[in-house]
Amino acid sequence: MEQGLIALGAAIAIAIAAGAAAIGIGMAAGKAFEASARQPEVAGKIQALLMTAIVFIEATAIYALVVSLLLIFAF
Amino acid sequence: MFYVMSYLSEFWHAFVEKLIEEIKVGDIGAEISHAIEPKILYRATIGGSNWLISDAVVATWGVMLFIFFLVWYMTRKMEKVPTSKRQQISESIVNILMKLCQSSGMTYDQAEKVVPYVGSIAIFISLTNLVTLLKIPAPSKNPAFPITLALINIVYVIYMSIRLAGIKGFWASLIYPKAALLPFKILDYLIKPVSLSLRLFGNVFGAYILMEFIYIIIPVIIPGIIGLWFDLADGILQGVIFTYLSVTYIGEVLEGAHMAHEAAHS
Repeated sequence: MEQGLIALGAAIAIAIAAGAAAIGIGMAAGKAFEASARQPEVAGKIQALLMTAIVFIEATAIYALVVSLLLIFAF
Repeated sequence: MFYVMSYLSEFWHAFVEKLIEEIKVGDIGAEISHAIEPKILYRATIGGSNWLISDAVVATWGVMLFIFFLVWYMTRKMEKVPTSKRQQISESIVNILMKLCQSSGMTYDQAEKVVPYVGSIAIFISLTNLVTLLKIPAPSKNPAFPITLALINIVYVIYMSIRLAGIKGFWASLIYPKAALLPFKILDYLIKPVSLSLRLFGNVFGAYILMEFIYIIIPVIIPGIIGLWFDLADGILQGVIFTYLSVTYIGEVLEGAHMAHEAAHS
């Protein structure tokens, strides 16, 4: 019973975080492509900014991954 | 023709039966938890304290030795005008790092001071992640490794920003838009190492578990294809991101100091 609840909790944690991070990265990438289509001369700079943004968005998903791993292996 | 077909179908049946047998053997959860345990290779007691040599330590030593000989080989017999291939490759790597530093707001002289540390960190993390190609678990799988790297990194970032911007410039960057932001900026310096280490640890550990899982359920062909991303590309990418972020942190401080300087003099 308890094992099942832990597994369910871990799955829900990583599912919500992964979905939200995917939406966030999608929005950021979409806007970046729009911007570099409008102004191709600053495409390099936009790409660098996009990398930074994606790294920070991805960090939230990684936190959720660590939390769910802790849930599975530490409890 | 018929014989070949029947032989093939027999072979296929045997193959599928063998595969199903492979999958059924053992409990997947227990095997994965066995795989993620850090392996202690050697225990010693020196002066009353316990010293544990784990697989991560040995892998790190191996990578360090490899980097030593690699760099020695790459920079051997350097000339003013590069003619050998290895010198051109090493110069282009340094050039990429210099451009990265300059694009995050450093001058050429400042970038020259930052590149040695940042470049060695990038090569070190990338290569330690690449040892998974040899079926050795990556050292970053052990949480001690990324936490140590992140702590060293944040100390270096603070030291380097003070050295490049001056203690006054560093202080100015802390209180740049408003002095009320000071506690948050200090909090930022505490959160940065946590975020750096968790990012490295989470990525490598997650990839390791996924690869172990795939090795257990489908031991043929598929691990090779999926491993291209999780073993090869993701490992190098994590090293590059770690470097990129530490350069960005130093660049942020320099930019803040510069903006504060301009605001004070206009």
